[in-house]
Amino acid sequence: MNKKTRSFQTKLRLLMIAGLVVLQAATLVAVHLAGRRAVQQTVSDELRVGARVLARVLESRGQQLAATASVLTADFAFREVVASGDRPTITSVLRNHGERIAADAVFLISLDGTVDADTLDNRFVDTPFPVRDLFASAQSGEPTSAISSFEHRAHQFVVVPVLAPVPIAYVGIGFAIDDKTLEEVRRLTSLHYSLLRASAGEREPVLASTLAGPARAELAQRVRALSPSSFAAPATLAMDSQSYATVIEPLLPGNEGDMQVVLQVSIDRARRAFRRLELQIFGLSTLALMGSLVGVTFLARGISLPLQRLAERAQGIGAGDYTATIEIGAQDELGQLASAFNQMQSGIREREEQIRHQATHDSLTGLPNRTLFLDRVQLAIDRARRQGGMVGMVMMDLDRFKEINDTLGHHFGDVVLCEIGRRLLAKVRASDTIARLGGDEFAVLFDTADPPGALEIARRVSTILEAPFAIGDLSIAVTASLGISLFPLHADDPGTLMKRADIAMYDAKKNNLATSMYESGRDDHSLRRLSILSELRQAISGSQLEVHYQPKVDFTTGRAVAAEALVRWQHPVHGPMPPGEFVPLAEQSGDIRMLTRWVLERAVTDCARWNREGLDLSVAVNLSALDLYDSQLPSVIEGLLRASGLEPTRLLVEITESAVMKDASHAGKILGELKDQGIVISIDDFGTGYSSLAHLRRLPVDELKIDRSFVIDLREEGREDLMIVRSTIELGHNMGLKVIAEGVESLETWKVLAKLGCDLAQGYFISRPMPSPQFEAWMRGAPWTPESSVVGRPG
Amino acid sequence: MSKILFSLGFLASSLALAADLTVDVRAAGLKPLDQVVIYAIPQDGLPLPPPGRAIMDQRDRTFTPHILPIQTGTAVSFPNNDNIRHQVYSFSPPRRFQIPLYEGTPSQPIVFDKPGVLALGCNIHDRMSAYLVVVDTPYFGLAQDGQVQFRALPAGTYEVHVWHPGLRRTMAPQLVTLNPSDRHELLVPAGPR
Repeated sequence: MNKKTRSFQTKLRLLMIAGLVVLQAATLVAVHLAGRRAVQQTVSDELRVGARVLARVLESRGQQLAATASVLTADFAFREVVASGDRPTITSVLRNHGERIAADAVFLISLDGTVDADTLDNRFVDTPFPVRDLFASAQSGEPTSAISSFEHRAHQFVVVPVLAPVPIAYVGIGFAIDDKTLEEVRRLTSLHYSLLRASAGEREPVLASTLAGPARAELAQRVRALSPSSFAAPATLAMDSQSYATVIEPLLPGNEGDMQVVLQVSIDRARRAFRRLELQIFGLSTLALMGSLVGVTFLARGISLPLQRLAERAQGIGAGDYTATIEIGAQDELGQLASAFNQMQSGIREREEQIRHQATHDSLTGLPNRTLFLDRVQLAIDRARRQGGMVGMVMMDLDRFKEINDTLGHHFGDVVLCEIGRRLLAKVRASDTIARLGGDEFAVLFDTADPPGALEIARRVSTILEAPFAIGDLSIAVTASLGISLFPLHADDPGTLMKRADIAMYDAKKNNLATSMYESGRDDHSLRRLSILSELRQAISGSQLEVHYQPKVDFTTGRAVAAEALVRWQHPVHGPMPPGEFVPLAEQSGDIRMLTRWVLERAVTDCARWNREGLDLSVAVNLSALDLYDSQLPSVIEGLLRASGLEPTRLLVEITESAVMKDASHAGKILGELKDQGIVISIDDFGTGYSSLAHLRRLPVDELKIDRSFVIDLREEGREDLMIVRSTIELGHNMGLKVIAEGVESLETWKVLAKLGCDLAQGYFISRPMPSPQFEAWMRGAPWTPESSVVGRPG
Repeated sequence: MSKILFSLGFLASSLALAADLTVDVRAAGLKPLDQVVIYAIPQDGLPLPPPGRAIMDQRDRTFTPHILPIQTGTAVSFPNNDNIRHQVYSFSPPRRFQIPLYEGTPSQPIVFDKPGVLALGCNIHDRMSAYLVVVDTPYFGLAQDGQVQFRALPAGTYEVHVWHPGLRRTMAPQLVTLNPSDRHELLVPAGPR
C-alpha cells in the first residue's frame, strides 16, 4: 500500500517535472530561436541604419563643408587675391583661409581643371585636380562633396567656384576623415566603421577606423578574405575575441566610388540582451519547476494519505468490519469520496444484514430457516454441555398438506403456513426457537430438564392446530405429526438430533399418533428408507424392476380372464425388495407416479402382445392415491393404448378404497375420464375403508375387489368374514358391479366364494404372480381347475 | 555643358560707299538667338569714330543691361538707381576696378581702354552680374530676335566676331568683304552656352 502510494506520488511528480521540463525546453528553444532571429534582424537593422547614419552624417558634413567653403570663397579679399593671379599670395591666402575652416588641403583650380595653387607646397600645381569628377560636378553646379583617399588618408572634398561674379576659378578643399570623425558616428550607432579604399588586388591599409589598433590591423588583414555580404546576411568576423557582423559597402552610394566602409556590429552585444532574457526565462522556469514540485508533493500527499486511509478502510470492510467510519475534513472530491465510502459501508452493512437474514430466515413466515435453526441448536447444545440440562427438538410435519396446496391453492397453503408460524410463536417461550425447515415442516428448539418436559412442550405445540384455519368462507382442520428428540439422550450434534426428531415424526405419522419420541435403534430403518428411495429412482431408469402377473380366474368357467400387474424389484444388493416396503415410500416421495407409469407401459405393452398372440386377457394395474392427482394420467394412458393397440376395455385400473375416499370428488373426475376411454375401474382392498355408499354410487366403478383380510380365513363356518363377504358380493351385484376376491389360498375358500356367487378369484390357490414368460406359459398350459391346483400347483 | 550649334548670319549691304550688313544668329534648328554680341572689326585701317559714353545702370539689384558692348576707350558710368548701396567690381584682366560702396552716380566714369570682356559684379549682392564687352570697333550690336543689322558700313573687309557668355570657346571670326551699296547677309551657326 505504502509502496503504491509512493509510486503514485512519484508518478505525479515525474509527470509534473517532465511536463514542466518539456514546456521549459520548448520555451527556451522558442525563445532562443526567436532570439537568434531577432539578433540577426537587429544586427541587420543596426548595420543598415548604421550605414544610413554614416551616409547621412557624411552627406550633411559635405553640405556643411561646401557651405563653409562657399562662404570662404565669397570673401572679397580672397576673390581679389585669386583674381590677382599672384601665386605666392594666392598660396598664402589658401593656407590662411583653409586654417579658418580647419581644412586639411586647399586647392585653387583653374577653369580648365588644373591646379593653380595648393596648400601642399604647391606640389600639385599644373596637375589636374585630384578629385576630377568632383570638379566636373562643381562645374555643372551639382552637389560638390565627395570622399576620396588622398595622401593615404580619407578626405572629404568640396569644390566651390570663385565667383567674380562669374566663376573665375574653383577652390577644392579637403577635410580629412579621421578616427575621431568616425567615432562621432559610432557614438550615434554603436557600430564600428572602418574606411578602406577599394582598389582591386591592392592591399590598402585601413584609412580610418573606430576599431582599436590590434583589431584594426586584424581587419586590414582579413578584409580581403571577406565573402560578399549583405545587410540581410552579414558575414561574421571574429576579432579580438568578439564576433562582429560585418558588411562592406560603398562609402557613399552613387558618389565617388573608390571608398568603401566596413560596418561592424558586435553580435555578442546584440545577443547579450537575449541571453539575459533567456537566462531570466530559464530562472523563472526553474523557480516554477521547484514551486510546482513543492505543490505537487503537497497535492500528492493530500491525495495519497486520504487514499491510504480509504484503502485501509476498504480492507476493513473486506474483512467484515463495518463499525469504523472514515473522516476526511476536506470538502473536495476526497471528502466526497470519504462520505460516499461511509455511505457505501453502511449500505453494505444493511444489505449484508438483509442477505444474512434472508439466508437464515424463511421468506414466507419470517421464521429462522434450517441453517439458522441448526446454528441455534449447536449453541443450545454447547450451552447444555456447560450448564447441564437437555436440549429438546420438536419436529412437526403437517398431514396431507400437499393436498391442501393442490386443492385449495398455494395461496391458501401459504396462509396456513404463516398462521401456523404465528400460532407457534404465541405458544412457545421466548427462549425457544421456532423454525420452518421447508415445505410443511416446522421445528421447535427448547431447553428442558427431562423427557416428560419435552412431551409437555410437544403437547403444547400440538394444541395450535386445535382451532381450524379459516380463509374467507373456507375453514379447514389441519393435523400434524410431531417427533421429538433430545440432547444428549438421542444425539450429540444438531444434524443427528434433527434427523432423529424426523424419524420420530415419521413414526408418529405411520402409527397415526400425534406425537412420538425417538426410540433408539430407529435410525437404521429410517436410513434404509432413504436409501431405498434414491435407489428406486435408479431402479426405474435401470432394469432392476420387472412386472409379474397374477391371473384372475372366472368362477364359472375356471378360465383366467385377466392378470394383475405387480411390480417386483430385484435389488442388486438386497435381493428382492417387497413392494410393501418401497411402494409406500414412493408414495410418500411422489416417485409413485413415475413407478405407476412404468408399470402401465409394461402391462399395456404385454397385454397387447398377448391379445395379438391369441391370449384373450385383460390386464389390471394398481393406481396409487397420488396418481389420482396426476391430471396428465388419462392422456398418458390414452397414448399408451394407442401406441400398443390394446383395446381400452382390456385395461383395468385398481384404486384402493381409501385412496378414493380421501378425495372422492377429485378421484371421480380422473376416474370418469378413464371410464370415458372405456377403461375398466376396480376398487381395491374393498371393505377396509369406510366407504360412503353414496360416494361409491357416483363413481364410475365396474368392479369391487374384496380385501384379502376378509378372504384369507374365509370358511363355511366363519361367521363374521362370511357375512361381510356375502353382503359385499350382494351389494356389488346390486349395484351392477363385478366382485372379485383376492387372497384365495385354499380350495375351501374357493368353494365358499363360488357358492356366494363371487365372480372372480385371485390368489396363491390359483397362482402366485409370475414373470411374463412364465405367465404366458401358464396360460398356454393345461387349463386350470380347482382340483388340479390342489394337487399339482402349489401356486 | 551641352553644345548647341547656332547659326550666325551676316547680311551685308552697302549704299554707294556704304553697305548694309545683316547678321542672323541662330542656334541649331535655326532658332534665333538673343543677347549675342556681334561686332565687326574693319580690316582696312580706316579711321574710326571716337568712342563715346555708355551707362551700366543698376536697378532693382540688377545690372542693366546685362550685356553691354562698348568701343574701346568708352567711358562707362555706373549710376546706382536703387536706394541701397552697391559695390561694383570687376576682376577681369582687361580692367580691374572696384567702386567702393556708393549711392547715386559716381563722379567719375571709368574708361575701358583695353578690349576684352569684363565680368561685373556687386560685392555685396552676389546675384548681380553683368558683362562689359570692350571691342576695337564702333560696329557692334546685340542680337534681337537673332538678328543684328549694321547700316551704312563703309565698304571694306571686316572681321565679324560673335560673343556670348555661354560660348565656351571663342568662335573664329569670319572675314566679310562689303562692297559699296552691297547688301550682305551672313548666316553663321554658333554654339552658345
